[in-house]
Amino acid sequence: MAENRVGAVIVSHGQLANELLVAAETVIGDLKNIAAVSIGWHDDVEAAKEAIDRAIKSVSQGAGVLLVTDMFGGTPTNISAMFLADGEVEIVTGVNLPMVVKIATHSEGSTLGELAREVEEQGKQSIYRTAALLEPAKAK
Amino acid sequence: MVEGTVKVVNFLGLHARAAGQLVRLAGNFRSRIILEREDGRAEADGRSMLSLLMLAASKDTVLKISVEGDDETEAFEAVVSLLENGFGEK
Repeated sequence: MAENRVGAVIVSHGQLANELLVAAETVIGDLKNIAAVSIGWHDDVEAAKEAIDRAIKSVSQGAGVLLVTDMFGGTPTNISAMFLADGEVEIVTGVNLPMVVKIATHSEGSTLGELAREVEEQGKQSIYRTAALLEPAKAK
Repeated sequence: MVEGTVKVVNFLGLHARAAGQLVRLAGNFRSRIILEREDGRAEADGRSMLSLLMLAASKDTVLKISVEGDDETEAFEAVVSLLENGFGEK
């Protein structure tokens, strides 16, 4: 189906988005289809909106762009929501490093909708109470 | 299919950057590469970093490696060598 890869933009408060991208790149290597927009605490909405718009254009290959934001209800998500467009831009909130890794390593054939579902699922599945995982017998 | 076991020797175990190296290596081969904890508690696909991390393979963990495909011998040797060399770490 989609020959072009789905692009992605991490959008967050402060420097979280940049640092998540740097962490993922340290592990996986250069990630050309992912951009990061860190919205400063005092940036105005128009400037933030323009920064997201530029980032979407920079990663778009015609197969849609997934925006992953830090927290539902926060300004980065609310501004990102202005870009929602069926089949073109989707948003998944609560970004964590495994979600960025999932985006970075997704198969080229997946559509925007499929990737959004996979990333949402990965994010939820990647949270573990580690003691219970490493020593199941002891955890209560 | 080629199978064998290898012990994780580097101090940090199979951590994120190490798993990243393994995924990049696996991408050079066509064979399917499966790693499993010797105690059977987890199994991972050599191409999936997130599944490799779930092996929770710390130093001295023994992993069973199974490789199947037309370049299985080369792939198996490359994976074993990467692990035996501790991913280039101490």
